[in-house]
Amino acid sequence: MTHHRDIDTGPPDEYVEAEIQRLLAEDPAVAEQGITVVRRERALVLQGEVESPHRRAEILRRVSERFPDVPIADDIGVIRTQAPTEIEQLP
Amino acid sequence: MVIRIAAVGDVHLDEDVVGRFRPALEELPECADVLLLAGDLTRHGTEAEARCVAEEFGGLAVPVVTVLGNHDHQCDQVPQVVKVLEDAGITVLEGNGVVLDCAGGRLGIAGVKGFGGGFAGRCASDFGEPEMKAFVRTTTESADRLGAALRSLDCDMLVALTHYAPVPDTLVGEPLEIYPFLGSYQLGQAIDSAPTALALHGHAHAGTERGTTPGGVRVRNVAHPVIKQAYSVFHVGDQLDTDQVSPLGTSGIQRSWS
Repeated sequence: MTHHRDIDTGPPDEYVEAEIQRLLAEDPAVAEQGITVVRRERALVLQGEVESPHRRAEILRRVSERFPDVPIADDIGVIRTQAPTEIEQLP
Repeated sequence: MVIRIAAVGDVHLDEDVVGRFRPALEELPECADVLLLAGDLTRHGTEAEARCVAEEFGGLAVPVVTVLGNHDHQCDQVPQVVKVLEDAGITVLEGNGVVLDCAGGRLGIAGVKGFGGGFAGRCASDFGEPEMKAFVRTTTESADRLGAALRSLDCDMLVALTHYAPVPDTLVGEPLEIYPFLGSYQLGQAIDSAPTALALHGHAHAGTERGTTPGGVRVRNVAHPVIKQAYSVFHVGDQLDTDQVSPLGTSGIQRSWS
């Protein structure tokens, strides 16, 4: 039997994912195209890497503000900036 | 002859990042003759963000050469961004090239931002709506300018620098559905039209480091989230320690070039 979603429960999850993905790129306070939204059983997981802890905090703040009822899990890292320890030799 | 090339892309600088790269950049003269930046230097392409790039990547002991990325176009301030970078001594390439005298020889670098479109057999076509034709023609023009710039340089070693990817190899890890927004085979075709030794690009944050063009040119995705260090270093040449070299020994279609 086809399950009909109650309109009061909010938009289907796929649209929420799409909207978060676009918000991450198009919100000037975020402007991140490298963050992936992954749907897991208990939450939407944000994965990827950013250039500073401030940017990670801003992403989580913006998404939580826009979707206060959606459980969000944070798996965003800050990219390391150490000097390389090895070179690649190309003949 | 060995030329030492450091490279990174997608550093997305703003005030919150200034200073993070600098300690590693101060070590550059020990391991590299030049630093190449593969675009997306800023978050939104503002003049203020470009000043952050100038502060972080300006005044280094090695020459710095860059292309811009899509983020650097976001606020339509490209002329201002380019001026700030050039005032800081950074060479900005877009459809042209530069030749640097390095200890190991003359290094020619040709660069464009590039654009999307997809890869052979699964790409957009110059057909249909004006918007689609404009999209594909943007890539075609960019690739044509890259090829012309590569073929015009008189040098001992040739490197192609783009933001968008010239091959799908270095996109592995990205969703297949977005490959057409990450690069184009036409850039690879331009790279293969000249005796290119190495092609460097960024843009694909979830991609992988290594690939080759159909013509056998080594391609490296140096996007910062991919390399996970301040920059990667490539020693390119024919006098390397054979115990350490990569097994791939040829590059480019025009094998007679050296």
